[in-house]
Amino acid sequence: MARRGAPVDVVGVGRTFALGGGEVEALRGLDMHVPAGGFSALIGPSGCGKSTALRLVAALDEPDEGTIDMDGASPDQMRRGQRIGVAFQDPSLLPWRTVSTNIRLALELVGRRHDTAAVSDLIELVGLQGFEKARPAQLSGGMRQRVAIARSLVTEPDLLLLDEPFGALDALTRQQLNDELQRIWTARGTTTILVTHSIPEAVYAADDVLVMSPRPGRVVAQHAIEFGRPRTKELLLTDEFHAKVEAVSASLHRSEGQVVQLEADDS
Amino acid sequence: MDRVPPRVLSAAVGIAVLALWELLARTVYAGSYRLSPPTAVVADFFEYRDLYLRNLWHSTKTAAWGFLWGNLAAIALAGVASIMPVLRRSIGAVALTIFCLPFIAVAPILRLITGPGNGTPITLSALAVFFTTYVAALLGFDTAPGSALDVVRSFGRGRFSAFRRVRLRASVPAMIAGLQIAAPAAFLGAVVGEFTGARSGLGILTVRALGALHTDRIWVIALLSTIVATGGYMVIGALGRRLCPWAPALDVGAVPTARQEPGLLNRLAALAAPIIVVFVFWYAFLWVFQIKPFFAKTPFDVWAELFTNADAAETRSLVFGALGTTLWTTSLGYVAGLIGAVVTAVVFILIPWLERALMPIAVALRSIPIIVTTPVIILFVGRGLLTTTAIVAVMSFFPTLVNCYAAMNRTPGGILDVLKSYDAGSAANVRNAYLPTAVPALLASARIAVPTSLLGATVAEWLATGDGIGAVMVIAFTRNDYNVLWVSVAVLTLVAVIGYWLVAAFELRTLERVAPGVSR
Repeated sequence: MARRGAPVDVVGVGRTFALGGGEVEALRGLDMHVPAGGFSALIGPSGCGKSTALRLVAALDEPDEGTIDMDGASPDQMRRGQRIGVAFQDPSLLPWRTVSTNIRLALELVGRRHDTAAVSDLIELVGLQGFEKARPAQLSGGMRQRVAIARSLVTEPDLLLLDEPFGALDALTRQQLNDELQRIWTARGTTTILVTHSIPEAVYAADDVLVMSPRPGRVVAQHAIEFGRPRTKELLLTDEFHAKVEAVSASLHRSEGQVVQLEADDS
Repeated sequence: MDRVPPRVLSAAVGIAVLALWELLARTVYAGSYRLSPPTAVVADFFEYRDLYLRNLWHSTKTAAWGFLWGNLAAIALAGVASIMPVLRRSIGAVALTIFCLPFIAVAPILRLITGPGNGTPITLSALAVFFTTYVAALLGFDTAPGSALDVVRSFGRGRFSAFRRVRLRASVPAMIAGLQIAAPAAFLGAVVGEFTGARSGLGILTVRALGALHTDRIWVIALLSTIVATGGYMVIGALGRRLCPWAPALDVGAVPTARQEPGLLNRLAALAAPIIVVFVFWYAFLWVFQIKPFFAKTPFDVWAELFTNADAAETRSLVFGALGTTLWTTSLGYVAGLIGAVVTAVVFILIPWLERALMPIAVALRSIPIIVTTPVIILFVGRGLLTTTAIVAVMSFFPTLVNCYAAMNRTPGGILDVLKSYDAGSAANVRNAYLPTAVPALLASARIAVPTSLLGATVAEWLATGDGIGAVMVIAFTRNDYNVLWVSVAVLTLVAVIGYWLVAAFELRTLERVAPGVSR
C-alpha cells in the first residue's frame, strides 16, 4: 500500500519549564526527521524529554526555540486541521462512553459523527469485536489501549503520535499489541512516532530508532532498522535483532556518558 | 490578569462588592427597608454592641453545647454501627430521619419537654450536626486499612480491639472533616431553635427585629452569624491541618451512597428494618418523656388524622395542598441554584482568572448556614413565594458550585489532551469532558440538598411567606393544633427521606454507568 501522511522535520527545538522557582531545560537543540509514511521510535533515559518532544509535535505544547515543520504546516496548523492522532500511556478514555462511542468521539470532534463504518472497521482492526457496548471499566488494560489506538486512527490522521501506549502493560500483552500496531501501520502507512523506553520494542517496531541524550534532551544517534516487513516474533530470536538491540543500547550508554539505567522490563 | 496574585484579586472583588452594596443601599434601595449600607451595619453594631455581643455569646454557647452532645452521640453511634454491622442500616435510618426533620416545626414539640429555657435550641443544634458527623465518622472507621485490621485479627483479637486500635485512629481525618461541617450546622440549629422562641440569643433577636422592620439590626445579626459560623468552620479546618497534615481534604457531603445488596428479600428487609426502627424511636420518645396525649401524637394518631378521622379529608387537603406549594417553590429554587452553579463552574473553568478572584469567596460562603441569613433574604426579596425560591436557590448555589468546580477541575489531563489534539473548542470540552466528570459531584450535592432545601423552605415559610407547609405548621402551632403539627412534621420528614433515597438510587445507577468504581 502506498505510504501516506506528512513528513516531520524538527530543527533546533528547545523547551524550558519553570518549576518551583527554578527552571528545567527539557530539550535543547533537538533535531529529527521522520519521512512521510515512516515509523520512527524515540528512545532515551527517563526524563530526557521524549514525551515533551512528542507533545511539541502534537501542538499540545509550544517550543521556546527552533521550528517544527510538517509538509509546510506547523504543528498547530496540523492540529487545527485535525490531521493528528494521539495515544498516550494512559488511554484517557471517557469512562461514561462505550468502546464504540469512545472511538466515535474522535469522529464527532472532526465532524464525521455518522461514519459508523469507520468505527466498526477500527474495532475489527484492533480485535475488539463483541465489546462494542462495553465501558472502559469493564475492559482489561490491554483492551483499553486498543480502544485508545483505534480512536487515534479512526480519523485517518496524517500523523500518529504514540507516547508509551503500552507502557503500563505486561510483557505478553505488550508484544501482542506491538504486533497489531505493526499490522495497522503496514495497512495504513501513516507517519508514526513512537516514544518508548524499551529498546527491543523500538527496534521491533520502527524504521528508524532515534536515541536521545539525558536532559536537556536532543537526538544523539540514529539507527536505521532494515528488517523486512511484516516482522514476526521469530525476529526477536535472531542474532541480527540482538545485534541491533546491542548497538542501540551501546549508543544509549554513550549518550548518557555514565552507567546506563535501563528498566528491567526492557527485555 | 493572570499575573495578579489571587489574594489581591479576591480583596479587590470584595472591596468592589462592598462599594457597590453601599452605593445601592444609599441610592436605589434608600428608605426601602431592604438593604442596609455596610457603613450603617457597622455603626449599628457599635451603637448596640452590648446587646449584640450578649446575644451572640448566648447563641454561641448554645451551639457549643449542641455541637458537643450531637457529635458525641453521632460518633458513639457510628462506633456501634462499625462494631455491629447488623445495626448499621437501622442506625443509619434514624440518623437520616433526624437529618430530614423540619427543625423549625420540631422546636415547639421539643419545647413541651425541655420547657421554655435553652434546652430546645441546644437539642436542635445537636440534631443538626448528628447526621453529617455520623456519616463522616462511619466513613472514617471504614477507611481503616484492611491489612492493619487483618494484623489485629491474626493475633486472635476481635472486632472491638480492631475498632479501638485501628479504626478509631484511621478515622481522624474524616472525623475532622465532619466536625468542620458540624460547626456552622450547630450554629444553624441553635439559631433556628431560637427563631421559635427563646429568652435570649440571635434567633429571637432576629424575629423581633423582623417584626419591627429593624433593617440594620437584621443585617448586623446575619453578618455576625456568618462570621461566627464561618469562623468555627475555619478554626476546625486549621486544627485538622495541624493535627493530621497528611490527610487529604475530604468532602463528607460528597460521600457516595452505599451499594445495595441484591435480592428481593434483602431489599425488603433493608426497607422494613429502618421504618420499624424509626417507629420504635417515635414511641420511645413519647414514652420516655411522658408527654401528655394532647401534645403527643403516635404514628397511629397521625394515620387517623390523615385517613380515618371525621375531618381527615380536610386535614389532607390542607397539608398536601400546602406541601404541593412548598415542593414546587423548593424545586424551582433548587433547579435555579443548580443551573446557576453549573454555569458559573463552567465559566470558572474556562476563565481561570475569574475563578481565582471569585472562588475563595464562594468557598467561604459555602460554609455559611444560609438559613441563618434567611431574614436578610426575606427583607431583600419580600414576603412572597419568591422568597422561598430565592432562599433555596442561594442555599443550593454555593455548595453545588464548589463541588461541581472541584470535580471539573479533576478532569484527567489526558482526556483534555486528546480533545485538544483534535482542536476541540470550549463547547466540545465542556460537553465531552467537564460536564460528565462533574455528574457524580452534582448527584452527591443533590442528595444532601433534598433535606436541607426543604428545611430552608420551611424556615422561610414559617418566618415570612405565609405559604406552604411551613405556614401550615406555624398556624397549627399558634392554635395549639398538635394534630396538624405532627401530621405536617411526619409528612414532610417522609417526603425528605423519600426524596433523599430517590436521588441516592438514581445516583447509584448513574455512577455505575458514568464512573464505575466510585460507589462503595
